[in-house]
Amino acid sequence: MMPVVLIAINFVREQRWPILVLLLWVLLLAFLGLVTDVRQQREDLLFVFNSVAVYVVAFSIFFGGSAIYNERRSRRILCVLSKAVGRQQYLSGLVLGVTLASAIYCFALGITGSWTLGEAGFPVTQVWYLMLCLVAACTLAGTVALTFSTFLNPFLAAGATATVLGLPALAGRFLGPQWAYVIPVWPLAAKVVQSSFDSPGAASWFPLALAATETLGFWLLAARIFSYVDIAVAVE
Amino acid sequence: MVSVLEFENVTKEYRSFPGRRLLRALDRFTLKVETGEILGFLGPNGAGKSTAIHLAMGFMRPTSGAGRLLGQHFGHAPTRRRVGFLAENVALYHRRAESLVRFYGALNRMSGSHLAKRTRQVLEMVGLQDDLNRNVGKFSRGMLQRVGLAQAMVNDPELLILDEPTSALDPLARVAVRELLLNARAAGKTIFLSSHLLSEVELVCDRVAVLHRGRLVRMGKTVDLLQASAQMEIVARGIAAACFDGAVTRDGVVSFSVPANQQQAALERVWNLGGEVVSVNPLRRSLEEVFLEVTADPSSPDSERAL
Repeated sequence: MMPVVLIAINFVREQRWPILVLLLWVLLLAFLGLVTDVRQQREDLLFVFNSVAVYVVAFSIFFGGSAIYNERRSRRILCVLSKAVGRQQYLSGLVLGVTLASAIYCFALGITGSWTLGEAGFPVTQVWYLMLCLVAACTLAGTVALTFSTFLNPFLAAGATATVLGLPALAGRFLGPQWAYVIPVWPLAAKVVQSSFDSPGAASWFPLALAATETLGFWLLAARIFSYVDIAVAVE
Repeated sequence: MVSVLEFENVTKEYRSFPGRRLLRALDRFTLKVETGEILGFLGPNGAGKSTAIHLAMGFMRPTSGAGRLLGQHFGHAPTRRRVGFLAENVALYHRRAESLVRFYGALNRMSGSHLAKRTRQVLEMVGLQDDLNRNVGKFSRGMLQRVGLAQAMVNDPELLILDEPTSALDPLARVAVRELLLNARAAGKTIFLSSHLLSEVELVCDRVAVLHRGRLVRMGKTVDLLQASAQMEIVARGIAAACFDGAVTRDGVVSFSVPANQQQAALERVWNLGGEVVSVNPLRRSLEEVFLEVTADPSSPDSERAL
């Protein structure tokens, strides 16, 4: 477990600049909370909150899709995997890293959202439920991207991830809402995007449990594929 | 002797994209590294040295054949706790040197005061005791290589696998690393050393393996390889240099070389000419000469013989 945690923390450390850039959006929300009358401008604040929240899903795909590629290209992966670290542990570290990175953002957003939206009348418990949905969506999206990145370059991995996550969303729209839950990133993100003061949404644990199960499934698939991949191409 | 690293008929082929030409980086490569030795692993660029090392570390899988690292198959993660590895052109995270080495030690399940003490010890061993708190992102290539060496040794490994460990070092640092390797051997460690610096290899290695186009073309004890010439050098005084082909006079003595099977005749001739034999020694070659010889024509049957 120790190497997994170390790799995850190291991953967050390496991604500190993109995370800080993301956190600027939270600062924007905090700034708006400070300079506006939150009760008068509550719909605008909620719109900013909803928009800012979903950015992190895209960032998770970016984090997951580029992690292995960057480490291989820089050859820093060699020093890590030359230690007593199995490939499955390495991938676990990256999945945990993506989760931590998104959790940091969601925590900051949750604090700011509780303060600004809570003051405007939005249920604070619902803010934290939405943040939990967002972390689950990010972890699943990042793991799907990581799975593709074990054998594709980051651009193709991001494209493949967008397709895999987008198709169930389209199916849900045209064939019936249950289809969206095949890979529940969209339903989880939609909970955040579509929440409003009139209808903050009901707390359902089903999509969270489904997302956690599918994250495990994609992680196992990624580990299986990654165990067959040559991670180092000879310098020669 | 127990083998700590074994390659058995290992072949590795690369085909980066369907339809592209197949590249065979290693071809039925067999090698055993014995406990407590320093084995020099030589070969021109593209010979397959790094491929062999990456296979041993489990970074890639062989196309055919198998190998064992400290008794376990290649790629067995827990075994790597007993191995130290330094990659060619080492790439490290940009952290403080001490924090970085601690990170790598912790990946090998080291912790607490033992890890802290060992980290400082290895950084001191590579001469970076004054740079513990400097970020390695600001280090020169030579310093990076030394941090790389420190992270490889932090777990006090039984086997050190080093890919070009001294290529970026200045002469002083090279001497220090040489001492470090010799001390490690004296402490019972085994070292698998891939290097282009033949003079270094000549000085520290017990045995040498030469790889060329993915095949092992020469393997033997360093002393034997250097003395493997079939020529004898005879030094005599009291004779004219003109009496022997290729003889030279220096400081009043004449030296010349003859094939080993003709040394008796040559010595008798010196005595018959009224000369005095000062010394007779096998002609010693440099490792560079051996290297150039065996990599010049790999198809030659002589170049594939094992000593």
